[in-house]
Amino acid sequence: MNSMIDESSSAATLRDNADVAEVLGRTYSAGFITQIEMTGLPPGLDEGTVRAISAIKHEPEWMTEWRLEAYRHWLTMPKPDWAKLKIDPIDYQAISYYAAPKVAPKSLAEVDPALLETYEKLGVPLHERAALAGVAVDAVFDSVSVGTTFRKQLADAGVLFCSMSEAIREYPEIVRKYLGSVVPTGDNFFAALNSAVFSDGSFVFIPKGVRCPMELSTYFRINAQNTGQFERTLIVAEEGAHVSYLEGCTAPKRDENQLHAAVVELVALEKAQIKYSTVQNWYPGDENGVGGIYNFVTKRGDCRGDDAKISWTQVETGSAITWKYPSVVLRGDRSVGEFYSVALTHHYQQADTGTKMIHLGKYTKSKIVSKGISAGRSSNSYRGLVKMEKGAEGARNYTQCDSLLIGKKCGAHTFPYMEVKNPTAIVEHEATTSKISDDQMFYCRARGISEEDAVSMIVDGFCKQVFRELPMEFAVEAKKLLEVSLEGAVG
Amino acid sequence: MSQPASLPLVESLLDAPLPPSGLAWLDVARQENLEAFATSGLPDTRVEAWKYTALRALGQRRFATRDMAAPAVAVDAASLVLPGVDGPRLVFVNGVFRADLSQLGNMPAGLSLQPLSQALAGDAEPLRFSLSRHYREPGDAFARINAARAQDGVVLRVADHAEIGEPVQLVFVAAAAGLDLAWHARNVIELGQGAGLNLVEHHLASGEPTQLATLVSDIELREGARLQYTVLQNASASTHLIRRTALRLQAQAQATLHVLELGGALVRHDLQAELVGDGAQLHTRGVFMPHGRQHIDTQLAIRHQALNTTSESTWRGVANDRARGVFRGAIVVAPGADGSDASLSNKNLLLSPGAEIDTKPELEIYADEVKAAHGATVGQLDERSLFYLRSRGIPLAEARALLTAAFCRAVLADLPNEALRDHLSTLLVNQLPDT
Repeated sequence: MNSMIDESSSAATLRDNADVAEVLGRTYSAGFITQIEMTGLPPGLDEGTVRAISAIKHEPEWMTEWRLEAYRHWLTMPKPDWAKLKIDPIDYQAISYYAAPKVAPKSLAEVDPALLETYEKLGVPLHERAALAGVAVDAVFDSVSVGTTFRKQLADAGVLFCSMSEAIREYPEIVRKYLGSVVPTGDNFFAALNSAVFSDGSFVFIPKGVRCPMELSTYFRINAQNTGQFERTLIVAEEGAHVSYLEGCTAPKRDENQLHAAVVELVALEKAQIKYSTVQNWYPGDENGVGGIYNFVTKRGDCRGDDAKISWTQVETGSAITWKYPSVVLRGDRSVGEFYSVALTHHYQQADTGTKMIHLGKYTKSKIVSKGISAGRSSNSYRGLVKMEKGAEGARNYTQCDSLLIGKKCGAHTFPYMEVKNPTAIVEHEATTSKISDDQMFYCRARGISEEDAVSMIVDGFCKQVFRELPMEFAVEAKKLLEVSLEGAVG
Repeated sequence: MSQPASLPLVESLLDAPLPPSGLAWLDVARQENLEAFATSGLPDTRVEAWKYTALRALGQRRFATRDMAAPAVAVDAASLVLPGVDGPRLVFVNGVFRADLSQLGNMPAGLSLQPLSQALAGDAEPLRFSLSRHYREPGDAFARINAARAQDGVVLRVADHAEIGEPVQLVFVAAAAGLDLAWHARNVIELGQGAGLNLVEHHLASGEPTQLATLVSDIELREGARLQYTVLQNASASTHLIRRTALRLQAQAQATLHVLELGGALVRHDLQAELVGDGAQLHTRGVFMPHGRQHIDTQLAIRHQALNTTSESTWRGVANDRARGVFRGAIVVAPGADGSDASLSNKNLLLSPGAEIDTKPELEIYADEVKAAHGATVGQLDERSLFYLRSRGIPLAEARALLTAAFCRAVLADLPNEALRDHLSTLLVNQLPDT
């Protein structure tokens, strides 16, 4: 039986429920890349599924109700079609909404070696490598956190860093206060779906005045076939707190489209700073556009206090379809929002990504730097909104969007929206689209640099402004990722 | 989409039966467009093209479809005259052609200019393509009703290689009619190979009419044709003016547009240009200057479809009081349109706390041998420049007017007709707030 149940006091009640037990006992048999037995719910979604997920996670009554409310709202919502994406219809009943490693480890030592090996391949500094790398990792394998390191050091500093399900059990007041306060359950189609069925994710709470002693990191990993991943991340930085959070994603090769609908909520109170960095390298599908991850993410930060700062940095090279707009609500006076993005698409990948900066407070500032690179037959769009509300006295925005085209069959698009209601606010937007210039190529080639290396160099230079914002180890990884992703793009 | 039948505006526009034109194909096309309008109703703000222009209030209004007095209503002929524009003139009052106000004598060689109502009575076949068009986009409601109801408008042709020296003036007068009126006009304009034309479109009001007016213009430039096109929109403060201008540029054709949007209550201009021939060039410049409670929406869409095409656009917006300025500048470079060079700049000034600017420059690029860039800004007058002027004894109001005029200057700077340019500059300055 599922050990998740064994470890809990309410296991007995659950076991009595034959349906749930049967459902939980179901084992996937085919097509695993990592040979770990899986338990999960069968495909399908109804109120029962939502209740079952909540029950598996031993959630309190209010949480179950919260999920159900989101689910009922989701049923009434139309699928969004405004993005410049071609999406085959998704059968939400064909997806399994919960998967967990069958043996839930009590400590890192009990972590399945096969699993650790996968992390090893991905370069996750878990286990002894964690200490060397100096990174605390809350690694998420499919839906349940399997190991958390550096808990003690963080606990000494007063930082709470754990899985979402743990947080719901152990810190219900904090979770209840902030969960859904930035991205409401009915915010959009995918956020509503996530709210109903989210499986797990990370929870970070930095108390007042604390500077998080290390960079926090989570590696998400999609593994089980047909399992949508519904991550839910909540980061709260109290007055004057600082935190830098790293999120990295990889997924093994898989032929079927997999759905991923994550929600990330950031709350920064007065003078708090949150820096959120992402490297997203999920399976993009093969060169014929078969397979790949559908990535529909709602990420939003709320600068709730004065002088707060939220910064998003992302490097998006993976996924067949990316639909993602990390946003900042600049509520507090003098708060700052930043968005740095590199999005690379190749073959048949489609990306529609960008940001929203909603200026409400006085003298708020935002900066957007977006670099899009399209190759092959891919489509890459920047879509952004800068909104200056009436109260945004003296607010300032600067946006720069550049696109680079590699090849004749790809598309690069820019859709910036600017809405200004305050005459003292200043909004600036600039965008360019071009291909790698022949002059630059000629210069490199004349100096004996191969065509592929030259492209890689030029692309790296094109993205420098964004890479500079990434934590060091991510910057190295990001550069490599671009090189790998662009293989075969030239010639 | 809202329930079309429940909206008074839609009801009133569907009210009268379509008068037969005597041409079977035209009656069919008009009927189909009317039915399409009846089915779709008005677009709401969920339709992307109407995101920033809500038709809720307009939808509650009723407009009469016919003004029996239009052929006779008195209009001050002096108001029609624009400095530097003294060529042939075609005048429409409330959508009805007025021979008495027009100037059609001494037509230059190679120019054919007549009202649509007359053109249809003669050889209507050349108009068939343009007048049988169907509008299929969800935001096309007004093009549909125009296609169904427009009885008059301009048919203008320039023969191959003809160079028309004097500017041709098209005047649309909205005259107070004692009832809230809806009228529709349709222009079909064609420049032959290598032809040159200087065209001025002028919208003005006589009295304070409350109207809904739609104008659809199809403009075709054949190989090597050159068009200089100036639009002065100075409609009355309670006129709802919805225009669509569709330009098609063949190889090596060149079009330069200067657009001044000053008047109107709710003004919408869809300006669509297709560069279908190699080496076609388009320059658009415009200022929209809403004040009071005006709402002026310009939707510019440029499509590069051929090799080595160029487009360059410079637009300025100045919003004052509680007005709202909306701008969309979309550039599409189609697959294979290599060598395209597209640039667009939209700068806006917000002069008052109640005003709003919504701007959306867009790039959609499907070819790689291209240069495409756009820039947009929203801000206010530079404090330092104001201080500089004031420190030299220029009063605040004057300093602001000076700087705002300078801000708009780029738009009119390259208008070759000097007299017209000066006149338009004066109009711009007069529209500036006194504060």
